[in-house]
Amino acid sequence: MNNGNGKRFLKPGKYLMMGNVAMAEGALSSGLKFFGGYPITPSTEVIEHLAKRLPEVGGCCMQMEDELASINAVMGASLVGAKAMTATSGPGLSLMTETISMAANIEIPFVFCDVQRCGPGTGFVTVPHHNDVGLTRFAGNGEFEVIAFAPMSCQELFDLTITAFNYAETYRCPIFILSDAYLGHIHEVVNIPPKEEILKRVIDRTIPEDTKGAKFTYEDITTHKLMIPKPYIVGTEFCPPLIIHLPHNQDGVLMPEENSLRFMKIMIDKIRDNIDKISLTEEYKMDDAEIIIISYGLPVRASYRAVDLARKKGIKVGIFRLITVWPFPKDKVKKVVAGAKAVIVPEMNYTGVIAEQVERVTDLNIPVIKVPKVATLHHPDDILKAIEEVAK
Amino acid sequence: MSDDIRYPSEKPEHPYFDSSLSGMLLGTLVSRFCAGCGYGSIGQLYTRVFEDEKLDPKLFPLVIGIGCYSQIFFLVHKNAQKMLTLHGRAPAIATGMKMANPKMKPIIFSGDGDCLGIGGNHFIHLCRRNLDCILFIFNNSIYGMTGGQAAPTTLYGAMSTTTPYKMFEPRSDGVELSLAAGASYVARTTVAHPRTLMKYFKKALKHKGTSVIEVITPCVTYFGRKNLDNLGSKGEKGEIMDTGGKMFEWIKKNSIHINQAKFMRKEELFNKYIIGEFRYNPSKSEYSEEYKKIQNIAMKGD
Repeated sequence: MNNGNGKRFLKPGKYLMMGNVAMAEGALSSGLKFFGGYPITPSTEVIEHLAKRLPEVGGCCMQMEDELASINAVMGASLVGAKAMTATSGPGLSLMTETISMAANIEIPFVFCDVQRCGPGTGFVTVPHHNDVGLTRFAGNGEFEVIAFAPMSCQELFDLTITAFNYAETYRCPIFILSDAYLGHIHEVVNIPPKEEILKRVIDRTIPEDTKGAKFTYEDITTHKLMIPKPYIVGTEFCPPLIIHLPHNQDGVLMPEENSLRFMKIMIDKIRDNIDKISLTEEYKMDDAEIIIISYGLPVRASYRAVDLARKKGIKVGIFRLITVWPFPKDKVKKVVAGAKAVIVPEMNYTGVIAEQVERVTDLNIPVIKVPKVATLHHPDDILKAIEEVAK
Repeated sequence: MSDDIRYPSEKPEHPYFDSSLSGMLLGTLVSRFCAGCGYGSIGQLYTRVFEDEKLDPKLFPLVIGIGCYSQIFFLVHKNAQKMLTLHGRAPAIATGMKMANPKMKPIIFSGDGDCLGIGGNHFIHLCRRNLDCILFIFNNSIYGMTGGQAAPTTLYGAMSTTTPYKMFEPRSDGVELSLAAGASYVARTTVAHPRTLMKYFKKALKHKGTSVIEVITPCVTYFGRKNLDNLGSKGEKGEIMDTGGKMFEWIKKNSIHINQAKFMRKEELFNKYIIGEFRYNPSKSEYSEEYKKIQNIAMKGD
C-alpha cells in the first residue's frame, strides 16, 4: 500500500533553499500531515510549497477562506491526531488569537509560523519588523504560557521547526516560530541530514498502550509532581468524553469555580517548571566579556561581526543569544548580566520588547542600551557604535 | 415521590444519560434549559437516531458552537464525542477534522447567530466545498444565551432587547444561503415536527456531502414572553406566547410546507417559515473524496 512516506524526506545533502521553504521542509520531516493557511505576504511561499508537497506524503494542505478558518481547521486536524501547522504574518496572527487562546486551554498541540512584517496595520508588507514578539507572548484572552523560537538562518528554520513540533507534542501549548520578511525570503544553503538521523529526533503522535490505567493524569500519584499527559486523539479510547475550554480536570469534566486557580497552575507551571529544559540559548565569546549583547533572530548575525570588530579594538564583548524568546529565561539572563559593565540589546523593533524583559532582571546600576532598527537590518557599525560608546 | 422510585439504583446504564458527567456538572439532576425550550427534545432525538441506526457515535464527533444549545452536550448520546468550540468557528474545526481523518463524519451544532451571524463566512465555504458533514442550524430567532438580543433571523416586527421598538432589518435565511452556496442536502423542519426531524437526520447520516438541516426551535423566555403571536401586524389581536405550548402552536401555524408554499404569493409567505426538503443531490462530488484523487496524482512515482 502506498502511504506516501517515501517522499517525506529529501535526499540528504546540501540544498539552496528559501527560508520559508526550509521551514516547510522541516515541518514535513517531522511528520506534518495538515496545513491550513491563507495567503499573506511574506509567508505565502509556505502554503505554495506545501500545496505541492503535502499531498505527496498523504497529507492535506487547504487554503481556507480566511485566517480564522485556517487556524480553526488546524486545531480540528490536531484534535484527530494529525501534526498540524499554519503560517501567517502579523495581521493574520491578530485574527487568530481567539483560537490560540482556546487551543492553550484544551492543550492541543500545533505549530504556528509567524513571518513578521512591518506594522502596525497593513504596514510595509515586504520588510521585516520584529513587532509581533510581544503579541505572541500575550496572544489571546486569558492567562497561558507560550513557547517562541527565533531562528536566524535557513538551516535553523529547518532544524528548529523539528524541535518546535517536538515541543508541541511534549508541552502541549501554542508554539511559535518567529521568522521575518527577510529571513523568510533569503536563499541559503541548507544541509539536510539523512532520514535516520531526523527520525531519531522526531517525537511521533502516539497514544499510550494502556489507555485504561492512568488516563490523563496531571499529577504523579506517588510523588505529587506535575506531569504533562500525552495529547489526546478524538475518535480513539484515549480522549475525554467532553472537550471543553473551561477549567476542567484531566477527564475533561468541568472543575468547580473554586478550583479554577488549580487549573491555571497546571496550565502555566507545566512551562515555568520546565523552563531550564525548554529555553535554548547560545553564547559567543562570553568567557571574559564585560559588555554583553543580548539578542535574537537576524540582529544576532550583525552582532557577531560587531563583536569581532570590537575585540580587535580590545573591547571585551560577548553575545548571549536567545534561541527561544518565550518563555523568557529569567534566571539564565540574571546570571549572565550580573557584574556586567553594560548590556546592549539590538532589536528590530522600536519599543524593545525583550530589552524590557532584560531590564526586569538587571541591576539598576547596569545600563541597558537599546539599538532599535525597523524595516532594515542592523549594520554591524550600528552595534559597534553602541559598544564603543559604553566602553568609553 | 421518593428519590428511590425516580432513579432506581439498579437502573441499567443507558445511552440517554451520563450520570457521572451530569452529576459533576450540575450537582443536581436537572436540565439547564428553560421551561418550553426545544433543545431537550433535540438531544433526545439525536440519541434515539444513533440507537436506532446502531452507529458508533465516536466516529461522529459532535462539534458544538456557542449558544444556548451548547448546554446540549449532557443530553446527547453518552458515548458521543462532544466538543464545545468557539463562537461561529465550528464549521472550520469540522473541516480540519474531516480532512485529517476522512473516516469521520463531523456533526456540527450551531445556532442562528452562530452560523448566520459571526460564522457566516465559514458556513458558506463549508457548503461550497460540499464537505461530508451534517450541519444543524437551531433557529430560535433570538440570542438566548446573552439575554434576548436581535439575531440575523429575527422576524420583522419582533421585539428584542436591542430592538426595543421593533425589528426592522430584513432577516437572513439559512436555507436559501446554503442552497446558493452549494450544499447538497438542504432541509428545514421544526421541533414541533420531531418525526420529520428524525427522518431528515437519518437521511443526512447516509448522505455523502454537506447536509444542512435548519431546525426552528422555540425560545419562550426571551422571544415568546415579549412578542405577540402575530408579531405586531395590524388588524389582528395578538396573544403573548408565554408558555411552551403556545410557542409550539405558533411555530406550527407559522410554518408552511414547501409543496404548499409553491402556490402562495410572496406577501403571504412574509415572516413565515417554509419547511420541507429543498435539495437532495447525492451525485455532487464530495471534497475529501476529490482531495483523495489529488493525493493519488501527487503520490504517483513514489
